Amino acid sequence: MALLACGCEPAAAAHLERGAQYLAALQRPDGGWPPRASVDQSTWVTALAVLVLHERLPGEAVAKAVRWLLEQSGEESRFFRRLRMWLLGLGGAHAEGEGWPWFPETAAWVSPTVFTVLALEMVKERFPASELEARTRAGRRFLWSRRCQDGGWNHGSTKVLGYDAGSYPETTGQALLAMRGEQSARLPEALAAAEGHLRTCRSSGGLSWLRLGLAAHARPPARPAASEPPWRGLMDVALWLLADQAAAGTSAFWS
Amino acid sequence: MGKLLSRRQVLAGSAALATWTSCSRAPAPGSQPRVTILRSGYGQGLRDDVRRLLTGHKVDVRGRRVLLKPNLVEFDPGAAINTHPLVVLAALEAFRGLGAADVRIAEGPGHRRPTLDLADAAGYFQTVPDFERLFTDLNLDEVARVRLPRAARGLRSLYLPKTALDCDLLVSLPKMKTHHWVGATLGMKNLFGLVPGAVYGWPKNILHWAGIDESIMALNSVFPRMFTIVDGIEGMEGNGPIQGRRKPAGVIVGGGDRVAVDATCCRIMGIDPSKVGYLKMAETRGQTGEANVRQIGEPIQSVRTAFDLLPEFRSIRLS
Repeated sequence: MALLACGCEPAAAAHLERGAQYLAALQRPDGGWPPRASVDQSTWVTALAVLVLHERLPGEAVAKAVRWLLEQSGEESRFFRRLRMWLLGLGGAHAEGEGWPWFPETAAWVSPTVFTVLALEMVKERFPASELEARTRAGRRFLWSRRCQDGGWNHGSTKVLGYDAGSYPETTGQALLAMRGEQSARLPEALAAAEGHLRTCRSSGGLSWLRLGLAAHARPPARPAASEPPWRGLMDVALWLLADQAAAGTSAFWS
Repeated sequence: MGKLLSRRQVLAGSAALATWTSCSRAPAPGSQPRVTILRSGYGQGLRDDVRRLLTGHKVDVRGRRVLLKPNLVEFDPGAAINTHPLVVLAALEAFRGLGAADVRIAEGPGHRRPTLDLADAAGYFQTVPDFERLFTDLNLDEVARVRLPRAARGLRSLYLPKTALDCDLLVSLPKMKTHHWVGATLGMKNLFGLVPGAVYGWPKNILHWAGIDESIMALNSVFPRMFTIVDGIEGMEGNGPIQGRRKPAGVIVGGGDRVAVDATCCRIMGIDPSKVGYLKMAETRGQTGEANVRQIGEPIQSVRTAFDLLPEFRSIRLS
């Protein structure tokens, strides 16, 4: 996120280059990235790495990363899993679309689906469009199917044992980012949910994701008041800068 | 590839496995696990209560590194969803008073990413002096890969945070709550918060795919040295652990035998511990049987307060 936020800063060019080289060196033979150098597994962070590095890596490295992303999907969307759910009478709202998991061979959730949709959108001009477009469309369908009753998004579980679960600020903002350009009758309700969260959110990161999500739909909110929550670390600062950039009309999340 | 196992972890794992694979049986007279129940509240007396609880169990942490693991879940100060910060503060001061070399606080929430904001909303910054310096976000901590002494379905190893792996004593500080998948969430289930979100995501879905009961067993098998203090002063009933209702029970419950502590809490909540899957799987000394646990402090009957259960869990109600 820090590298994304510094992308437009000429003064940060040298740091950006060093950071990008470090990240590029962590790419694994399967094309994906681990969340840490000490982890021997490609995970959801591959989408973030593509967002940061897609213009800096050789085409072959980006292609391997995209291939890895396209090979991933939520376990619940696999044929035999769906068949089993259907036979048990458990199919339904959650069967729509095809999202991405945090960790291979687990279910799809909102945040990793958002980041992968954004990454694939960023590189779609460099690859055969049909497959990427089909997966990003399926990813957005998945996101719509995981929208909470209040119009926003939480981590991706809208009901537990039949009880409605509420949305979160951070995931509502993220999902709206991935919905940029969508024409849907459901969008106004989702934007209203984001604006509702904006009034009560108690985390800097959450506020920044909301500002990013609203800016993606040309509704950048006013910068929060002086009583805004504190930055807790580098991630909060980076997100804040990204939200400011989006409000000014440029964003690392869309071209 | 990261280092797979340290010698320390192998020894700890072997000890845990030896304990966990011993057959389930009633304990010999005099060797019963001990669990303390104290009436308490979020007032001045809480510090003394926690100190008294630890002293009663002769917890020796002189020169040791202690890690307090509360349960932080949601931004909802109006609900009894998070471990109360006064319970954490009382434990922090008590372990320092017992001579611990270092006492840290750590948690990795399962759904929400801004952990420090969550802790702030729960009152931790306001209540615990120097909280930010003492706290580690386990979702973002450095990790090491650990082979699980007791594997779960399809889960033979896990990346776990070094802050937790390197402590001498893990102290589980859960909230007393019902749980919409496993019946009750207490000290053992609280270890889900050790699993790093940065690796496995929010939620830590790999544990659900491996089976919740089996994952509870697997995680507990990694940490053989654990003490539990349950915040049952105000618990949660109904659709816990997030959407339930506040349920005052007015107790703290603690002990060194995690199964016995959780089973005792279940009995206080009006839940039959022998019908809670992971407790039945975990018992090695018949701890789900009330006669096999030596109660200290308040008798269970005097503090029992039936927690409301979702219809799906009425079958685990203690008769």
